[in-house]
Amino acid sequence: MNSRARRFFVFAHAAAASLAASTAAAQSWRTLDVARQLKDSSPASVQVVYGMGKIGVRATSNPLLYHMQLRYDATRALPKHTFDATARKLQIGVQKSEVRFTGRSDSDAGHLQLELSKSAPLDLDLDLGAVESDLDLTGLRVSRLRVGSGASDAKLRFDSLNSARMSLLEISLGAASFRGDRLANANAQDVRVDAGVGEVELDMGGQWTQDIELKVDITLGVVTIHVPSDVGVRVSLQKTVASFEHEGLIERDGAWVSRNWDSAPHKLRVTAKTVFGKLAIDRTGR
Amino acid sequence: MRTAILPLILAVAVGPLMARQAAAIQQRPTAEKQPAAESAGKSTAPARAVEASDSVKVQLSKVAIDSLTELVNRFRRDPEAVKLPPTDQIAMGGRSIPAGTEVAGPVVAAGGPLHVFGTVNGDAIAVGSDVIVHPGARITGNAVAALGAVTLLGGTVNGEIRQLGGALGAVPAAAEVAESPARSTRHALALSSSWLIILVLMAIGVLLFAGDYLDGVVDSLEGRFGRSFWAGIATQLALAPVLALLIVALAVTILGILLIPFAIVAFVLAVVGLITLGFLAIARITGESVAPAASKRYSARGAALRALVVGVSIYMGLWVLASAFAWAPIVETVLRGVAVAITWVATTAGLGAAILSRGGTRRSAPTVPLPAVNDIPWQTPTPVAGVVAARRPTPSSSAKR
Repeated sequence: MNSRARRFFVFAHAAAASLAASTAAAQSWRTLDVARQLKDSSPASVQVVYGMGKIGVRATSNPLLYHMQLRYDATRALPKHTFDATARKLQIGVQKSEVRFTGRSDSDAGHLQLELSKSAPLDLDLDLGAVESDLDLTGLRVSRLRVGSGASDAKLRFDSLNSARMSLLEISLGAASFRGDRLANANAQDVRVDAGVGEVELDMGGQWTQDIELKVDITLGVVTIHVPSDVGVRVSLQKTVASFEHEGLIERDGAWVSRNWDSAPHKLRVTAKTVFGKLAIDRTGR
Repeated sequence: MRTAILPLILAVAVGPLMARQAAAIQQRPTAEKQPAAESAGKSTAPARAVEASDSVKVQLSKVAIDSLTELVNRFRRDPEAVKLPPTDQIAMGGRSIPAGTEVAGPVVAAGGPLHVFGTVNGDAIAVGSDVIVHPGARITGNAVAALGAVTLLGGTVNGEIRQLGGALGAVPAAAEVAESPARSTRHALALSSSWLIILVLMAIGVLLFAGDYLDGVVDSLEGRFGRSFWAGIATQLALAPVLALLIVALAVTILGILLIPFAIVAFVLAVVGLITLGFLAIARITGESVAPAASKRYSARGAALRALVVGVSIYMGLWVLASAFAWAPIVETVLRGVAVAITWVATTAGLGAAILSRGGTRRSAPTVPLPAVNDIPWQTPTPVAGVVAARRPTPSSSAKR
């Protein structure tokens, strides 16, 4: 390397260092750990708001109603953690989340880890922005679940049967990638997925305790529904310019049904609406 | 932050109340309860009097107390702080609430642990240390530890258990951050320098992988600068209508609707590519004219790279210069205006040249080297030889042939 090239690289490093210094100086990283002891197992409603970073939700075996561990930049975010003991309503997460270009990598973004009680039935409302979320609701007693997500990469899973019957499982996505694993374990009769642009993968595996009504509305994107082979499927589709992969389904009365529809112990009724999307039903029983 | 707190804690002259000492207190609650009850009448705050004799008085140096006071004051300014009593009511070095006693909160300890064996009616707070809730203890409010931990060994906390870590104190407002001249200058410099580096790297990439196209645009610019500039302006004016036409054309065909998003992305990429190619071409010409390379010293590619780096540095240097005056808004505005104007002219001409040369694929007609004309046979013929005079070829007629 000649002297000119060396000088160029020194300059490049100096510029990069100044960029890093300027962004680092504008931050104020803090950690906040909040929890509340569990007094009884009365139902509670939990509203989680988180705009940017990574979020994880899971159950805790400790005698706590909730436990949040938050790492945040105080110049951009304001934590929120209020619990109304009378109404049994918890509002938790980050109140203000200013999006600012800093050149940081994702690993430097904020992080929220929320643990919730296994004992109390929860009405769970997750309002997520541009976040990477891992929602492992295994072991929780969820009576209602709403996941609203902007531009994010979200994963939702129920590895064991939800001991509370869920009245509604609602997933509302903007431009996002969403994957739901073993959703039959959610124990919900009514499942609604509303997606703008993105890729949605719904695994309806798990323990079936009832028939499920699944409503899917996607504008532009791909929805893949994995259904166990012993479950009967009926798909009613409204599509404008969209494709539908219906391998193993036969057309009957204006809908597509699986061959075991009449004999199946449990049934999945899919009502789908798509404009520029693609709906695929996979019955390989993954 | 924790490392900053460590010397502070070490500065405590006499060690804070340790867990073992607290356990010792816990073992003889009845013995200590009696004097506490006796002292109740002497105090204006009965609850404090009850526990006052049960606390181990810790002697701290003045430096340590000052440091702890500063830490407490920072905590007061923290958005996550709870309401604290006056500093003289804060137990510096640690405190213990014995079993069987009941004190009114908030109870605050700084620089040493707050052991709770009894009942705190309100918040229990530790600054720079831990709150330890022992079996049988009860806190009716919150248990808060700033730069420490809340340890539950049993007992109950009716409120929230809260631990604060990292930076402590008031959060600088975003507006304050933005208004700092040094910060804004540093930020602007970093941004413009980053763009300079990105453009130099792009120039190297274009030279390596699309050198021929760059040469084509450079040829077009050198031959027809004025025409390139006007073509650039026409292109800028036509961009939006062309995109609209493209979308309408695709929408007319039903299948084409699906291609609209891709067409928009492709259109934007194509325009950005042409602008970049044109800008780099004009940067190269500028670099060649400002700092011509000695022909023997550099290879053709080396000379082109040198010219590109010099040219890009000149154009982006204007932006860096403007950024360096971010602390002086008027100067910065003037310099930025100059940078905008010069960059716009360069980019417009470059874009026009890129369009005229079809992205560098069409070169200007090469200049045909004129054949050397041997004048000797075309001397005026002599009448002796009787040769018929013929038209003497001119360079232009030779080129036509």
